[in-house]
Amino acid sequence: MFDFNGTLPLMMFQFFLLVAVLNAVFFKPLTQAIDERDGFIRTNNTEARERLAKAKSLTEQYEQELAGTRKQSQQVLADAQAEAQKIAQTQITEAQQQVQAEVMKAQAELESQKQSAFSELEKQVDTLSQQILNKLLGSTLA
Amino acid sequence: MHHSSLLLDSFNWFTALPFASLEVGQHLYWQIGGLKVHGQVLITSWIVIGILVIVSVLATRKVERIPSGLQNFMEYALEFVRDLTKNQIGEKEYRPWVPFIGTLFLFIFVSNWSGALFPWKLISLPEGELAAPTNDINTTVALALCTSFVYFYAGFRKKGLGYFRKYIEPTPVLLPIAILEDFTKPLSLSFRLFGNILADELVVAVLVLLVPLIVPLPVMLLGLFTSGIQALVFATLAGAYIHESLEGHGDEEEAH
Repeated sequence: MFDFNGTLPLMMFQFFLLVAVLNAVFFKPLTQAIDERDGFIRTNNTEARERLAKAKSLTEQYEQELAGTRKQSQQVLADAQAEAQKIAQTQITEAQQQVQAEVMKAQAELESQKQSAFSELEKQVDTLSQQILNKLLGSTLA
Repeated sequence: MHHSSLLLDSFNWFTALPFASLEVGQHLYWQIGGLKVHGQVLITSWIVIGILVIVSVLATRKVERIPSGLQNFMEYALEFVRDLTKNQIGEKEYRPWVPFIGTLFLFIFVSNWSGALFPWKLISLPEGELAAPTNDINTTVALALCTSFVYFYAGFRKKGLGYFRKYIEPTPVLLPIAILEDFTKPLSLSFRLFGNILADELVVAVLVLLVPLIVPLPVMLLGLFTSGIQALVFATLAGAYIHESLEGHGDEEEAH
């Protein structure tokens, strides 16, 4: 059973040979493959992380821009509303003034017509009263 | 006398059966140059080496970023031995030792499992029988000596002749024990592996001899388990020894 002979050095020799061969065809290429994959995953990961951060900052930026724009649009709307109201107000007052002026004019005209009508009536009253007087007194006078 | 002859008779009856027999210490001897070698051990070790190399070549023939099939499996194996080495030697220095410890683990593991799974005994040799290469003391001692060699190499490469300081570092009183350790390490490594694998094969063989059906199955499963554990233990200890000689005794590691 404990029979040492040439098998021992031969086995040592072929074992070291096996180490060398396996190192060349197994350990080196696969270790390299694993390391490369590790590197690939790591760079991809950091890249993705960077991209994510960039996307987040972009989102933030866009959101801020959106908020600014919304505020601006509200401002514009409010401005336009105010302006429109102002215009409407001035137009209303203008119209009112115009109406008032026209009413005044109409009233003045009415007054003048009334005056002229009165004066004419008065004139007619005079003539009529003269005629009545003439009629009443004319016979007697005549 | 009568009893023992009866026992012998029954034993002969068992050995006459075609499906099981026990042979310990019989080898197929080859003569290479001036050396005698165990042919059956070398044949199975070549088969194991062939399996490892062929599977590795197939797995790495077309390395892809997204692994599949054999590449995936071998990457799993690689990560396993890498973690094993990393746990023993530490994050900083483990990388150059992965091939050695990984090959150690894979070779022992495949050897053990080939002994437990493949019916080598169906292939008959003129003398001896095929079995796991690790059930021969030459193989395990060779592997253990390789480990010794590598941990000395690791120590010298890291510290030069300062490596010898570890023998007298805490106190010169322990020098004999420190020297003894260099002998007990390969001794315990080789005999642990050899004993476990040989014992497992013998237990299975004896049980098959006695009860050829079903009963040996749990022991065979246990053998598979032991085989894996022994490979793991051998590789782990090799890693621990390399770490020990890299780290050295004393505080110099913390000093700089």
